[in-house]
Amino acid sequence: MSLTATSFDWVRQLVHRESAIVLQPGKEYLVEARLLPMAQQRGLSGVSELVEAVRNRPDPATTRRIVEALTTNETSWFRDGDPFTSLTGTVLPQLVAARRPDERLQIWSAACSSGQEAYTIAMLLSDALPNAATRVSITATDLSRAMVERTRAGRFSQLEVNRGLPASMLVRHFTRAGNEWEISPTLRRMITASECNLAAPLPRLGPFDVVYLRNVLIYFDLPTKQAILGRVRQLMRPDGWLFLGAAETTLGVDENWERVVLGRGSAYRPRKGA
Amino acid sequence: MRALVIDDSRAMRRIVGTILKDFGYEVREAGDGRQALDVLEEGWTPDLCCIDWNMPVMDGLQFVFAVRANPALRQVTLMMVTTESETGQIVKALAAGAHEYLIKPFTADALRDKLALLGLLPEQVTA
Amino acid sequence: MTTSQQAQPISTLLDPATVQAIADEVWPSLVGDGEAFVPVPVAPPAAVVSAWVDIVGPWTGSVVLTCSPATAQALTENVLMTRPPTVVDDEDVADALGELANVLGGNIKSVLPGESRLGLPRIGTAPPRGRLDDVCALVGQWRGNFLTITVQGTAPHPSGTEVPQ
Repeated sequence: MSLTATSFDWVRQLVHRESAIVLQPGKEYLVEARLLPMAQQRGLSGVSELVEAVRNRPDPATTRRIVEALTTNETSWFRDGDPFTSLTGTVLPQLVAARRPDERLQIWSAACSSGQEAYTIAMLLSDALPNAATRVSITATDLSRAMVERTRAGRFSQLEVNRGLPASMLVRHFTRAGNEWEISPTLRRMITASECNLAAPLPRLGPFDVVYLRNVLIYFDLPTKQAILGRVRQLMRPDGWLFLGAAETTLGVDENWERVVLGRGSAYRPRKGA
Repeated sequence: MRALVIDDSRAMRRIVGTILKDFGYEVREAGDGRQALDVLEEGWTPDLCCIDWNMPVMDGLQFVFAVRANPALRQVTLMMVTTESETGQIVKALAAGAHEYLIKPFTADALRDKLALLGLLPEQVTA
Repeated sequence: MTTSQQAQPISTLLDPATVQAIADEVWPSLVGDGEAFVPVPVAPPAAVVSAWVDIVGPWTGSVVLTCSPATAQALTENVLMTRPPTVVDDEDVADALGELANVLGGNIKSVLPGESRLGLPRIGTAPPRGRLDDVCALVGQWRGNFLTITVQGTAPHPSGTEVPQ
């Protein structure tokens, strides 16, 4: 019933590939402790059985859950800061100039996990725009209902707020709730959270001015990557902006995007006439 | 890159110091604010101070005031690393001149994230 | 005469679930990834050692961590990440156990109402408890070894004044 060396090795390689986090040998107990509930939920007797099942029938949703379970408390607020500095530095001024003052800017955090990305965007915009609460709406979606509920609640543990959230923003936008921290109601109202499976036909959302689709495509094969990028493009404004994870690109996947260098990172925009 | 780790707990100094050394920092330690000021007065100027709050002789907040009162130390980045975690305490430390605030307990990754925010990861400096 | 009477006992300010949630964050970060304080009691050892910090404010008392000397030694080895042949000495144990109490105490202080001050960690025989209802105790184990986290009010001084801090 205990974790076999082969299973541990498979999990180790998976987590390293998808998150760049290294599980040192000796962390078998951690893999066991974090994945056992997931195995039990699926009616499997142990973690090795879970690993076997996923190896025999690859399933991006389960794979992503495994990585998330092993990288919990690993979500940073300003994870790979560039997509956020670009938002306020380049993207926002252009959008504000291009839109009517009464037009809401629509932003999508497409794999929101526990909500750090969506709330990071909300904090940045509320600092950058005097009327952010009425000017911006942020849609946060995730495959997992539990994650959507966590995003809605806007409550974070001390370990979570310790991960890359500037202290000045913590004291400005959060209040203590017991041993947790709760985001301000103003910011929470800027965000609508719902369940959404990116690998299936998408609900009617948007149209979006900015989409954050980070560290999702890596879990899928090429045809699915293409299908996701195509569907996302359908929900975007023609002059919208797409941010991918640092290790992801549309190049060689879907040629209907134009890559734009922004600071040290890049964004993608729907190609004209595509 | 130099860091001064100020904490009355040897265990905590070792934990913080080990993480910083892994990032390539040259690390010195001090057991309270007074000892830390002695290190600075020697002329050993760090890029970063990691500062515990509750310490004997001179606490972390007094140390922050002392450093901020000295224009020669303007370039030194000050980060509180403490179990004090009420909003009021964080506000007080930032107002005194601390740049960042890391709450104990923390993981190595959390310290790394704070260094990244401050632009103090050696790879950012050389980039 | 009423100086040692707390306006509100700790049992109305803090529940064991909150202390457990705090321990759940302290153990993986300080003791090691995957480590946990498990709230399942085991038989107490013959001899114990305690580390504690005092909280002084609207509620006054101590946050006390108690375990056997051998468990204290093992905790210290984990906190300091020592590997054989490196051995930890008494000073290391006092320091590491004290820091564990300090981090637990600071986080517990932050969920109590009003402004309070945190004392410096001490180690030895735990201070006496105050009123019976002024205690929030978590009895459990780490790796099968007896360990308790007790948040306890200050015992009234015989003269009726506060115990000096």
